[in-house]
Amino acid sequence: MTARSKRRLVTIIAYGLALLAVTLTLFPILWIFGISIKTQREAFSMPPVWIFTPVWSSYVKIWSTAGFAQAFLNSIIVTVIGVSLALLAGIPAAYALNRMPFRGKKTLTIWLLISYMFPEFLFIIPMYVLYQQIGLYDTQIGLALVYQVFVLPFAIWLLRSFFADVPVELEDAARIDGCSRLQTLSNVYLPLTAPGIAATAILSAIWIWNELTIALALTFESAKTVTVAAAGFRGYAAIDWGGMTAASIVSILPMLIFAALAQRYIVEGLTLGAVKQ
Amino acid sequence: MAVRESVAASTTMRPRRRWPTGVAYVGPALLILAVTSIYPTIYSMVMSLFNWDWGIRLDFVGFDNYVRYLTDPAFWRVLGQTFYFTAGAVSVEVVLGMSLAVIVNRLGFGMGIIRTLLMLPLMVSGIIVSLMWKILLDPTLGIVNYFLRVVHLPTSAWFGNAASAMPSIIMVDTWWQTAFVFIVISAGLKSLPIEPFEAAEVDGANSLQRFWYLTLPMLRSVLLTVLIFRTIDCLKVFAIIFGTTGGGPAQATESVQTLAYRTAFKFLFLSRSMTLMVIFSFIILAFVMIYLRVGERGDSQEAS
Repeated sequence: MTARSKRRLVTIIAYGLALLAVTLTLFPILWIFGISIKTQREAFSMPPVWIFTPVWSSYVKIWSTAGFAQAFLNSIIVTVIGVSLALLAGIPAAYALNRMPFRGKKTLTIWLLISYMFPEFLFIIPMYVLYQQIGLYDTQIGLALVYQVFVLPFAIWLLRSFFADVPVELEDAARIDGCSRLQTLSNVYLPLTAPGIAATAILSAIWIWNELTIALALTFESAKTVTVAAAGFRGYAAIDWGGMTAASIVSILPMLIFAALAQRYIVEGLTLGAVKQ
Repeated sequence: MAVRESVAASTTMRPRRRWPTGVAYVGPALLILAVTSIYPTIYSMVMSLFNWDWGIRLDFVGFDNYVRYLTDPAFWRVLGQTFYFTAGAVSVEVVLGMSLAVIVNRLGFGMGIIRTLLMLPLMVSGIIVSLMWKILLDPTLGIVNYFLRVVHLPTSAWFGNAASAMPSIIMVDTWWQTAFVFIVISAGLKSLPIEPFEAAEVDGANSLQRFWYLTLPMLRSVLLTVLIFRTIDCLKVFAIIFGTTGGGPAQATESVQTLAYRTAFKFLFLSRSMTLMVIFSFIILAFVMIYLRVGERGDSQEAS
């Protein structure tokens, strides 16, 4: 075999394997979507039905019952509050950690890393007790606040590496021109790192939207999110495949749209901490 | 990585202002962390020394809760199961994700779209992933067993059997999180210099040798980061167990966090649950320390 034909063969095998991986990745989602637009009888038929007329009744049903619409709205509200808090507190903190000297800086950096690694229930149980006492249990703002345990360190971590890319000379120039710290941050850093801030916001939003553990413990009815509503379908007694699949697709959809629109930012954000030297 | 960053940060900053300004900038973040993570950590540590169970009883019991767990075979079994899940999921995901990254990196046409499609599972919530796979892996009506029957392979009870439940959950996690390894390693591969590979090819090294002697050593720090992230994440596993088996059958898939959930919210043994979480936090810390130590040793070997 010549080197060239061998190389061609390797390329063909590589495409074959990549295609296999794509199929194994996509098939579960597509199959679940298929079940969500089948009738109950088609969904349970064995052998499975591959050709059928789509019906959307499962979507209508979950949207009008089980508080799913309210849960969807709650998720949006909690995500918006959570991301805003993370950026508002995270941007100045990331800037200060990179470019300003202050006492306790090292302790703060270490705490950010450690608290991010700790298990959810270490924080959840005390917060559950506290929230029951002060009335923040089952509220959107209370949930968004506890999400900061993980979202804030994550945001600060990402923002720091984006801010580190801004040349110090630019900052010095702005300062010589009479800009204050705050003006430097808003006029030099924010415009230059806008894509990085977008990446941080998107990744934080995805994390919050998909979170279950904390929401399960700290909400009950009025602030319950889509993940908690979807968790209501679990258990061996649950044979409502129409509801389960429709709820799954509805809660995946916003994130898939996000992924399609902002793929570059997501990859950038995910890989930053690991790959950047 | 953290060390490198803080070194970089300290070389770029000049002591121009004194600390009060800096504190004002980290103030909001500090306030949020004080309430949401510092306070609960201290609270958990203090309350683990009591026997509180959401009632009026509140006696100081010292380290009784700790002794109780550390001498309880059930605790060690749950810890063992959590390690089993972590070791299984992390090793499969890293091998698979790295292979995929190397394969897709070779492709020319269609590479971008393949990357995007492979990334999709990461956008899905853990609880949704469990619901999806409960349907796909249903023993009688599921599509996976149907395919197995069609090709005359033995079917499985998947989540329904104590022996197959944990491997099934590992499989589900692999579908869900391999993309993370894939994306990070892909970016690592892209950042590698081309020259050493060209030189090796001229010298007659085959692609396996190039991978083993060039790619792998150069990706070492990226790989370490991926390992740390995946290990912590897997040790903390909750949603995909809660959604699929709920820890069953016969507690065969109980993880530390699902146990903490049941202990606190089903049995209301709050002090005990907090004790469990304090012990577990130390275990996670120990894992990270070991990884970082291994990383350091590798660095010094490289330098010498």
